Amino acid sequence: MLSRAAASLFWMARYLERMEIQARLLDVSLTMALIDVPEDREEQLSVPLLVSGTRDQFWQFHDEVTPQRLIDFLLLDDRHDASVFSMMRHARDNALHVRGNLSSDVWESINRTWLELKDLSRRGVRESNASSVFDWVRERSHTFRGAVYGTLLRNDAFHFLRLGTFIERADTTARVLDIRHVMATQSMAEHSTRSFFEWTALLHSLAAFEAYQNTYGHNLEPMNVAELLVLSADVPRSLHSGLKEISSLLEQVESGRAQRARRLASSLYANIRYGDRDYIAERGLHSYLVDFLGRIQHIADQIQKDYMGW
Amino acid sequence: MLIEPPAEGLYDELFDSDNRVRPHCRMLEQWLIHSDEDLIAEKRREADVLFQRLGITFNVYGEELGADRLIPFDLIPRVISAADWQKLQAGLRQRVQALNRFLFDIYHDYDIVRAGVISAEQVFANPQYQPGMQQMKLPRNLYAHIAGIDLIRHNDGDFYVLEDNLRCPSGVSYMLENRRMMMRLFPELFAQTPVAPVDHYPNLLGETLRAASLKPDPTVVVLTPGRFNSAYFEHAFLARQMGVELVEGPDLFVRDNRVFMKTTIGPQQVDVIYRRIDDDFLDPLAGNPDSLLGVPGLYAAYRSGHVVLANAMGTGVADDKSIYPYVPDMIRFYLNEEPILKNVPTWQCRKEKDLQYVLEHLEELVVKEAQGAGGYGMLIGPKASRKELATFRALLKAKPENYIAQPTLSLSTCPTFVNDGIAPRHLDLRPFVLSGKKIQMVPGGLTRVALKEGSLVVNSSQGGGTKDTWVLEDDRC
Repeated sequence: MLSRAAASLFWMARYLERMEIQARLLDVSLTMALIDVPEDREEQLSVPLLVSGTRDQFWQFHDEVTPQRLIDFLLLDDRHDASVFSMMRHARDNALHVRGNLSSDVWESINRTWLELKDLSRRGVRESNASSVFDWVRERSHTFRGAVYGTLLRNDAFHFLRLGTFIERADTTARVLDIRHVMATQSMAEHSTRSFFEWTALLHSLAAFEAYQNTYGHNLEPMNVAELLVLSADVPRSLHSGLKEISSLLEQVESGRAQRARRLASSLYANIRYGDRDYIAERGLHSYLVDFLGRIQHIADQIQKDYMGW
Repeated sequence: MLIEPPAEGLYDELFDSDNRVRPHCRMLEQWLIHSDEDLIAEKRREADVLFQRLGITFNVYGEELGADRLIPFDLIPRVISAADWQKLQAGLRQRVQALNRFLFDIYHDYDIVRAGVISAEQVFANPQYQPGMQQMKLPRNLYAHIAGIDLIRHNDGDFYVLEDNLRCPSGVSYMLENRRMMMRLFPELFAQTPVAPVDHYPNLLGETLRAASLKPDPTVVVLTPGRFNSAYFEHAFLARQMGVELVEGPDLFVRDNRVFMKTTIGPQQVDVIYRRIDDDFLDPLAGNPDSLLGVPGLYAAYRSGHVVLANAMGTGVADDKSIYPYVPDMIRFYLNEEPILKNVPTWQCRKEKDLQYVLEHLEELVVKEAQGAGGYGMLIGPKASRKELATFRALLKAKPENYIAQPTLSLSTCPTFVNDGIAPRHLDLRPFVLSGKKIQMVPGGLTRVALKEGSLVVNSSQGGGTKDTWVLEDDRC
């Protein structure tokens, strides 16, 4: 397939995945801010800014972080690239580029999200209806995924699109885990009710709360959480699942000359697949994740060099 | 619902001159009369939402980029009888065949010029004439693989050709999507009426493009200027429907006079380019040096015969408005047949006598630029202000060769939904003719309708809309 088309599909999927996680993070942060004592509120609200790397930009436009301002900034603000609005615009721009490679269902799902979002941005989002907007973003994301799974030919267009999804997902899972794991561990030292909420916030952000309870029961243990989100092959947003998909997708992509991305991904996948929790505990989760983030970035760069660069 | 009767002296597609419904339209009339106003209003809204969602929008030059607009779609179909279509089809076939013969001739043997049918100056000094195409061998001697012929029905009930579009005629996606929309909104209508299908157009187009190359299984691509082009939706639509790649200039490169596309597994050779970019922008080395849309070296690759362009370079000379008056003569000259479709009488302002007449009768005539398109830069005498008339008079005197003039034709009307009910509006018709191993077309075309009362300008950039076009398979219904 055309290199430019592969790049557009890859980025389209990354933006859409990022949008979904952004909605999840915002939802969790706003809920946590309601529970928290006022002095911790800012820390809670900053999580989505830290994950998307937009904290400095936020402070350029605002002098305090409140739920409403966070909503304005991360949902509908078109002055920067990390708002849901801007991401959706980029996603649709990319989709327009590759309309020929998308099924009508996939295109219509994206275009419809865009039209409804434009409508939403005219009306604005208040704190009081923010939750329903987050639900809407998640549902639109599910619809997109469903259209992709249900209607897209399993050719390289599908492979590059899915690569974008899983690269983005592995990257954000690592970031969210890194930030929220530290917060939750710290809270354990302080008092226990708050720490319960901190751990559930982490799990909810990555849609893994039910998965945790199924696997470990009600007892929230820091290393269990880390194990679930890094090493479990059964949790859709774990690093293991992401890497498994990435390396299998790269095996399926028709590959003339390029082998490097494939090699890098297989090697990282092997590390995680045969990794164990003791190693992570010994090394320290933070250090482990920093190394992981560097390697996933390297894979993403190499995919672009191997298949999309001319 | 009530239907406002057509104006006197005009041909109406639904009613005859005594205001009786035409026999082949009876079903449609009954449907209109018995349709509930609220239901129709709801269907109209539904159509708008669906078109938005499909992304069937276009950009208007001069408006903010990305200001996607919908072309208004009218729910009342325009019906063409089987008998009328028979004649149209034969006429279109004949005309396109003659035009391709003409293009071959003016780039090879110049018989028509030698015979004195058309002056050498009018052919060779035409800005659309590409001297580089001379003596170039093209597969099957085909130039205009895809032609869009604009027709109108005059008040005598006959179809007249208004112009031939042989460069990159657009609009076929609307023909296809309008039909899909009507079948979705009013399935019951199709159950009762023998409407000829048009959905196979992309198959025919794919067949035509593959036949444009002599290779057994050529790689075909659609070349688009990009998503800011007003017809981008159509380019993507056709590429998807044909199952070929939609490429932009930067996706292609030329090496050893062969064209390749940049793919994820390396270069892949391209054999046929269905290009939706004008001649001048195709290759910055040969045409407009500032073009970012084209592919450097494409022209040389084309000349060497390693890639086929559809349509060929240099077809513009045959659809130029100053050549248009000669098409009936071409048919007689090359095919030895009498033209089946009529031409609109045309005054060529380059001729002194014609110019004189045009200046004297400016208030009655339509004046067009010989190379204009899209309804820009034209004068409709009977509707023009004094100032506009004066401006055109000056333009005509300064550069008469740039203009042609035609009588103001009374385009036929068809009942159309308007704000306060159903009223007659003017329309035209653009069928698409494909030339490959043989000449093929789907029964139908794009019907454009001028939505403003009394307006004769159907172009979408000037507030025109579209209708589904029904060619009946059988008139007895």
